[in-house]
Amino acid sequence: MTLIRPRLRRPLQIAGAGTVFAAAWALRGGHAWWLSVTMEVTVLVTAITVYVRAGEDTDEGALAGSRADERQKLLSLQSRALGWNFAMIAAFIGVTVAAAIKAAWGWPFLVILAVTGFGYLLGLSNYGTDQEDPAEDAGTGYQAQSRMLHS
Amino acid sequence: MRNRVREQRTQQGLSQAELAAVLGVSRQTVISIESGRYLPSLPLAFAIARFFDLTVDKMFDPDEEAGAS
Repeated sequence: MTLIRPRLRRPLQIAGAGTVFAAAWALRGGHAWWLSVTMEVTVLVTAITVYVRAGEDTDEGALAGSRADERQKLLSLQSRALGWNFAMIAAFIGVTVAAAIKAAWGWPFLVILAVTGFGYLLGLSNYGTDQEDPAEDAGTGYQAQSRMLHS
Repeated sequence: MRNRVREQRTQQGLSQAELAAVLGVSRQTVISIESGRYLPSLPLAFAIARFFDLTVDKMFDPDEEAGAS
C-alpha cells in the first residue's frame, strides 16, 4: 500500500470492494443482472466523491485521504467502536426475535454476534491484557513486614 | 486541563496551520488542543513543549480547567 498515494488508498479500496461485489452479482445472473451495472456506477461515483473529499482540510478529509493524525485516528476508532456496538445490538435483537418466533433466519445474526465477540477477545489478547507483567513490588510487602517482625 | 498552547503560539506569531505543520498534525487537532477538547498523547505533548522551549508541566496544567483564565 505504500506504493499507492495516500489520497488514492481509500477510493481504491471502495472501488475494489464494490467492483468485486458487482462482479459477483453479475455472475449470479438472472433477470436482475443489470443491477450490477448500477452498483458499479454507484461505487465509482462514491470512490470519486471520497477522492474529492480526501483533498479537503477537515477531519473527514484527513481520514478519507489516509493522512489522519493521532486525534483523527482516535475519532475513527471511537466511531468504529460505536458502529460495532450498534451492529451487536441489532444482531442481538435479530437473534432474539428469530428465537422467539422460531424463525430459521436467525443464524446470520448469531454469526455476527460470534464474530464481533471473537474480535473483541482477540483485541484484548492482541493489545495486552495477557501481557501484564507481575507487579515489581510483589512480595516486598511481605518482606518488609517480615523484617519488621524480626527486628 | 488548561494549556498554554494558544498563548505561546500567538506570542511567537504563528498561525494554527503553521504550528500544525511543525508538529506534524492537522490544524483541527491544534484547534482541539488549544480549546482543551483534546488531550494530546505524551509524545505530542513533549513535542509541543519542546517546540516552545518549555517543560510539559509548564505547558499543560492538570490543576486548571480548560478555558479558565
